[in-house]
Amino acid sequence: MAPSRDFYDTLGVARDVSADDLQRAYRKLARTYHPDINKDPGAEERFKDISEAYDVLSDPEQRRRYDSFGPDFRQVPPDVDPQTWARARAGGGRRPRRRDGPAEDVRTQSGGFSDIDLETMFGGMFGGRGAGGFGPIPGADQEAEIELTVEEAYTGGRRTITLAGPDDRRTLDVTIPPGVTDGQRIRLSGQGGRGGDRAAAGDLFLVVRLAPHPRYRVNGRDLTVTLPLAPWEAALSASVAVDTPGGEAKVQVPAGTSSGRRLRLKGRGLPNPRGRPGDLYAEARIMVPARLSDEERRLFEQLAAVSTFNPRSRP
Amino acid sequence: MTYPLARTPKLAIGRLSLTRFCQAGGVHPEMVGRLVALGLLDPERDAAGNLWFGRDQLLALARVRRLRAGLGVNYAALGLVIDLLDRVATLERELRVTTSRPTGGRSWT
Repeated sequence: MAPSRDFYDTLGVARDVSADDLQRAYRKLARTYHPDINKDPGAEERFKDISEAYDVLSDPEQRRRYDSFGPDFRQVPPDVDPQTWARARAGGGRRPRRRDGPAEDVRTQSGGFSDIDLETMFGGMFGGRGAGGFGPIPGADQEAEIELTVEEAYTGGRRTITLAGPDDRRTLDVTIPPGVTDGQRIRLSGQGGRGGDRAAAGDLFLVVRLAPHPRYRVNGRDLTVTLPLAPWEAALSASVAVDTPGGEAKVQVPAGTSSGRRLRLKGRGLPNPRGRPGDLYAEARIMVPARLSDEERRLFEQLAAVSTFNPRSRP
Repeated sequence: MTYPLARTPKLAIGRLSLTRFCQAGGVHPEMVGRLVALGLLDPERDAAGNLWFGRDQLLALARVRRLRAGLGVNYAALGLVIDLLDRVATLERELRVTTSRPTGGRSWT
């Protein structure tokens, strides 16, 4: 059972709120936090609190008792006078004495709330009967995002995640399978919204979000890295090392490579547990020295004089 | 605690008869009939006219009941609510994919 919070605070209303405004506040919050609308794992707990608060405050008799006796109002016998109760509490928490008096003074309560087990009422928020069915209602699925680096997605492994909830912080140790992709959903069976009275809980889906990477650009399972090349490497061919998540790889740059050319390293992208792994593309990017030595300048000038190459000529 | 990853169950396997569906879902057959008529459940009908429910229909039923119990949406309006919720979910998923498309890269050429 959640620690009692003030029902008025839960619904964000003043203590003298009218029944109409109370209902309006409740409806708005219920629409926001209903577990089928709000997949956030914290939403269910919030919805439960909102429903409990409204259940009490929307009933004039219960609201009166809540106002008089506070969060423990269900433990107070139905025929206790609020002032006696207040005095009893002030006087060291003695149990309130039942009022002896004429019968018309004794307030009779429908039901007698102190006898009702709160868990059956609120423990499963959809556990109640008459809610359109007969048995308890299974819990809703929930969704939470999990951010992984490209390397983590590549190798997989253990990951501890903490799900925030108002009263119910949960830490889950999750095994990430190798080769998850951006937007993929990892299903944790039975870790979603709790069902009503012994009904099945929903599932928790972790939606994978790949964090931006300084080197790798991700598209599905394919990765692209920039491959910086010297002009002569690009012109003459070269064997160049590139980083891949699985370690360094050699890429053979063919002669006559211009910037933007994509060299494919087959199967060196993100692994695929059910099929072909992604590819890694090394995208050529020709770099020139920011400052030339005298000798380099002489050679480039010589090349400029000799070459007929015009990159801007139209075919 | 460590939670193993769940394998996605083959939801299509093991269709349920109306009786078993009602037992598993905790509802009265009459109610199921109403939800089918409103298009909130989508069973298959065999040649003899019997209804058969896929296991995914249990999830659909639970959602209908939660929305009804939690928000007081009436059954007729629930069809619309559910369609819209599904559409929002699809759009959000697509948005997630498009926003994560590779960025940068060729802009310098």
